[in-house]
Amino acid sequence: MYDKQVVRRRRAALGVLVGLSIVLLTASFGNGGGVLHGFQSAAQTILSPIEQGASRAFKPFRDLANWVGDTVSAKGKVDGMKKDLAATRQQLAKSQAAVRENQQLQGLMNLHRRADFPQGTGAIAARVIARSPTVWYSTIQIDVGRGDGVRVDDPVVTGDGLVGKVTDETGGTATVTLITDSSSSVSAEIVPEGSNGVVQPAVGDPNDMQLNFVQKGRDITVGQTLITSGFASGRLESLFPRGIPIGRVRKVDANELELYQRVHIQPFADFRRMDVVQVLRHRGRTPVPNPGTAAPGSGGP
Amino acid sequence: MIRTPGAFIRSGLLVVLAVILQISGFDQLHLLGGAIDLIPLVVAGMAFYAGSTAGAVAGFCTGLLLDLAVGQNLGASSLVLTAVGYGVGRFSDQRDISHGLLPIPVAAAATVGYLSAFAVVSFMLETAPQVSALILRDIVIVTLLNVAIALPFFGLVRRVLRPVLAAELLDRRRRRREVQPAGPIGLRGLEVKR
Repeated sequence: MYDKQVVRRRRAALGVLVGLSIVLLTASFGNGGGVLHGFQSAAQTILSPIEQGASRAFKPFRDLANWVGDTVSAKGKVDGMKKDLAATRQQLAKSQAAVRENQQLQGLMNLHRRADFPQGTGAIAARVIARSPTVWYSTIQIDVGRGDGVRVDDPVVTGDGLVGKVTDETGGTATVTLITDSSSSVSAEIVPEGSNGVVQPAVGDPNDMQLNFVQKGRDITVGQTLITSGFASGRLESLFPRGIPIGRVRKVDANELELYQRVHIQPFADFRRMDVVQVLRHRGRTPVPNPGTAAPGSGGP
Repeated sequence: MIRTPGAFIRSGLLVVLAVILQISGFDQLHLLGGAIDLIPLVVAGMAFYAGSTAGAVAGFCTGLLLDLAVGQNLGASSLVLTAVGYGVGRFSDQRDISHGLLPIPVAAAATVGYLSAFAVVSFMLETAPQVSALILRDIVIVTLLNVAIALPFFGLVRRVLRPVLAAELLDRRRRRREVQPAGPIGLRGLEVKR
């Protein structure tokens, strides 16, 4: 195809070029600041204006391409940041839950310091572990039970006030029926006015409870406080000791046709956001050892 | 290639333009985490259409200009690009290069060869304590980008060089495989040997 001369010339050209490259390479290594460096600097000086011009001319294309690249890259970053955001949200939720829990615990501490809080009661702190999903059956599960000294009918409070009573117990858990449950009734008293009645819920609206059977003519005003009355009549005794705050008078219905007046109560406790509660029990009651549960109070915070 | 002043000017223009565009534009134009590298493309394109000797010379000059422009070790790029140009030129000398899609594998091979060989040379010359495996990813991305623009770029190189290409080279590129005579029953390969 090619004569020998062409082949020889081709190989010679290759050899010369490779040899030149190696010489240049060796020289540029061995003579860092010599002739080659000066030659290189001169070439860069000559080429730099051209490069600057080319760079300016190329800038719109570069910006366009970089915009595309940044957009693609940004999409990837968005995915990463979404994950970060989700993790941060989880952390925030945990922090907020901890703050709320802290506030509730602080409230529980303050509740016991109140002068009107029933004396002679001990408290078992418990964490809410389950809630009834329906508005008709307002119950919660707490992580203390018989083994911790909890008994059926023990009152349950939060830092804000009364929330319900224990209606069932196991070795390590208990079911608390809230005062917003349709079956709940609590004898209560308005302070300082002194009117008595029975607190009953309005199913579906935990923020609106009613104090029924309040005699007409009593001077009840909005904002007055409602506490458990804790009555004792012979062998009959209220399940709730006297003095546990329940709520505040929100509205008074003075119906002329009825024998009693109805008082609307705004409960102190936030039934939708309970994480920590206390079970009140009479001092001196000893927990019943239960092999299936941990030490008393260990389920609480 | 016909050795005329026009041929040198056209070739030189191609090389200078490619180097300047590369260091001023394409090098900063990042796509998919990499950048198009015109340097092996221009050398491969010239070698592809002008042959091995012209390819080797183009590779040497391109490498030298590149090393001068960016201030790196003189001779490293020249050495590698000379080999790339010669290799692509030898391929075009020996094969039928009339297929329209042939620039794609040629561009891919040239890019991979250039980047790999340059990495090896640099690794031998430099005293880097460790080399990241990401350079392999970089080689793949740059190769893909170069492959993407190989057809139009080779077409441009061919358009620029066409007036100065020797007639025999043009003829060689136009040459198609001759139609083989059919055998007595109309099938190829069954010819009657005389």
